[in-house]
Amino acid sequence: MSKKGLTQILIYLFSGLIILGIVRIISPAKSLLVEKVVYDTFINTFSIVVAVEIIIGLIQTWVSPETIAKLLGKEAGWQGLLLSSTFPLIIGGSLFVIFPLVKTLREKGASVACVLAFLTAWGGKAPLLPLEIHFLGLKFAIVRLALIIPMAIITGLLGEFILNKWEKTLQKI
Amino acid sequence: MKVGLIYLIIALGLLILSTLKDFKKTKKSLKVSGKIALTVWPVLFLIFVLMGITATFFTKETISSLLGKNSGFLGIIIGELIGSVALIQPSAVYPYAGVLLQKGADYGVLLAFIMAAILLGITTLPLEIQMFGKKFTIIRNILLLLFIFLAAIIFKFIF
Repeated sequence: MSKKGLTQILIYLFSGLIILGIVRIISPAKSLLVEKVVYDTFINTFSIVVAVEIIIGLIQTWVSPETIAKLLGKEAGWQGLLLSSTFPLIIGGSLFVIFPLVKTLREKGASVACVLAFLTAWGGKAPLLPLEIHFLGLKFAIVRLALIIPMAIITGLLGEFILNKWEKTLQKI
Repeated sequence: MKVGLIYLIIALGLLILSTLKDFKKTKKSLKVSGKIALTVWPVLFLIFVLMGITATFFTKETISSLLGKNSGFLGIIIGELIGSVALIQPSAVYPYAGVLLQKGADYGVLLAFIMAAILLGITTLPLEIQMFGKKFTIIRNILLLLFIFLAAIIFKFIF
């Protein structure tokens, strides 16, 4: 466990506890309500979060970066773009983890469109669906997922187009 | 709680399959899961506390007026801005959005908040610039700001 990681954990825990403490002082009555929310939410989400953690762990070990690079790296054209707009949905993790992965793809030759589509589609975060459905409803989750894929494709294509135009204009100057 | 149990059973089922196929890999994946758990739970704790505060101290009126059905475009913009600034873990976004929903936030606004929180972020900008360059970062963030806004409007009409 890195020092930075440990510090972060402690910061979060202490911040939470300090806030709870302040609330207790300001209004003992209201603090009961706050603590009830904390407790209830914890009970309600515990099994979902644990399930999600297990699944993300499995995905990150079983789906190797090499496999991904092979599928998306050299793949040009519509297949690559389509793949980049759908596959990343099942990858979990945070932006900090996904950026290095995407950078590797870029280095292995993935086009800007694929990279942008990849990052956008990743925002769909399918592993978190159980959480999303629990808090926002099935309809919300489905619609969001459905919108993400075209959004990824368009962002990819448009982004690449703009980037190329931008760099061409700079070259002319 | 019952639904959560189903997911847990599925996850454990997959875990068992993985163990049967390759025990070493499964051990590795559990380590990854453990690491994720260590980083996620403290954040969730803080988020739960913030949820409690929001639920207790902010009235339905305040949140509905700022982020509710009638807040219109401004509500979406506010939601998107808060999302992009919020130093939030993806798994914490949904619980917090849940509380906002209970307090009357509009689905479109919530979409803006969620997408902005997951895809954008002041904290990730330095890393993004370092890995992909200024132009890429600017283009990606501006395009997403726009598209998230559009998607939020679509959501407003659907719900």
